[in-house]
Amino acid sequence: MKRLLLALCALCLFAAPCFADATYGVLAEERVINLPNDQGKWYVSVVGNAQDAQYQTILKWFNTNPSLRKLKNQVHFNAVTTDTMIYRDRYSMNVKGLPTVRMQNNQGVVIYEAAGKNLPFTPEGLYAAMADGFNKVQGIRPILPWRRNHVCPGPCPQPGPGPGPDDPTPDPEPQPIDDGNAPVIDQPVEAGLPPLWLMLLVLIVSAGAGVAVQWKETYAKK
Amino acid sequence: MRHWLLALLLCVSLTGCEINQSTIPFFGPSVVEQERPVVNIPLALRQRNWVGNQREGSCVHATMISLMRWQGRMNLANHWRQTYGNGEWPDGLSAKFDREKVRYAYTEKGDVKFIEWACRTRRGCGITVMGGAHMVALVHLDAKWAGLLDNNNVSKIKWVPREMLIAEWKASYGWAVTPVYTPAAPLPQ
Repeated sequence: MKRLLLALCALCLFAAPCFADATYGVLAEERVINLPNDQGKWYVSVVGNAQDAQYQTILKWFNTNPSLRKLKNQVHFNAVTTDTMIYRDRYSMNVKGLPTVRMQNNQGVVIYEAAGKNLPFTPEGLYAAMADGFNKVQGIRPILPWRRNHVCPGPCPQPGPGPGPDDPTPDPEPQPIDDGNAPVIDQPVEAGLPPLWLMLLVLIVSAGAGVAVQWKETYAKK
Repeated sequence: MRHWLLALLLCVSLTGCEINQSTIPFFGPSVVEQERPVVNIPLALRQRNWVGNQREGSCVHATMISLMRWQGRMNLANHWRQTYGNGEWPDGLSAKFDREKVRYAYTEKGDVKFIEWACRTRRGCGITVMGGAHMVALVHLDAKWAGLLDNNNVSKIKWVPREMLIAEWKASYGWAVTPVYTPAAPLPQ
């Protein structure tokens, strides 16, 4: 019995520090470990009067239009109303009108900006205009309008649930945390074109054939 | 035969003369002037320190409120100002953040990578100074300089050498904390 008690005491003595260490280790653990390395993310700002219907419509587009919603999730998205200090301090002196949609790269360089009547009146138009700005920066030629429908040959994605009530007061839903960079704008048209060498070959052959025919017509009679 | 070749060469050389403006590569501004400080919180959004109901300063909360406003969480910031105050420690602040479902990140180990990350992503962070007795907002950190927004004097940014700031912070428990939301957009270039 004595041996048993001694063994128990010894066990308690040696085991206690282990438990304390484990507890200390847990307490010292960082709660958030995966910090988002999103310094390369671009910025999209929608600036306007909270009471303005056009401003509210544009904000809705970024929730309901699949392309704009996808873009929104890839950038730092800021909805800025004119009654805020952020607007007065950082936007009022550099917007050309209201509402304004502005896309900037991570350095602050404006990639696309339109305001008021210069804004497209459909979400598809707005996305296309922003994509054009993006393409110019990337040195990509624009997608021709008649090719745009080729983007989604299958069933198009359904819009998600609409935004909440039109009350601009609540803070926006937090954006996803990820290691963002410049947004990815769909460029499916490039894949549909034949290779450049083939186009050049066809061009040269057809030009040669045309010249040959004309040559024959002109000089064969002589 | 010579005529054929000449004609063919002429045709080929004439093709592709149309200039497509959109294919011209974009040569944007090569040098972009970065905003200083990168976390340029408007004066009106900088929260001053206040004395809480236990007669303690509320520097931690004031710093967090300024950062929340910079990251677009105006309502959360207002709620925080009305609800919390007095002195604060890492565990207490974490418990409050968890309770309010605030997204945040922090270090208590004086990890310089953390404060570099906070400024690189333009979120900024609160850091302890004065041996841990005070918290200020770190609003800029580059290779040479650190910018500090002190809630006891929010009218100006205090600039100190980077190494000096790191030494002060590490000697003050090395606690740094920030909400993790969307920072305000940079000024247009």
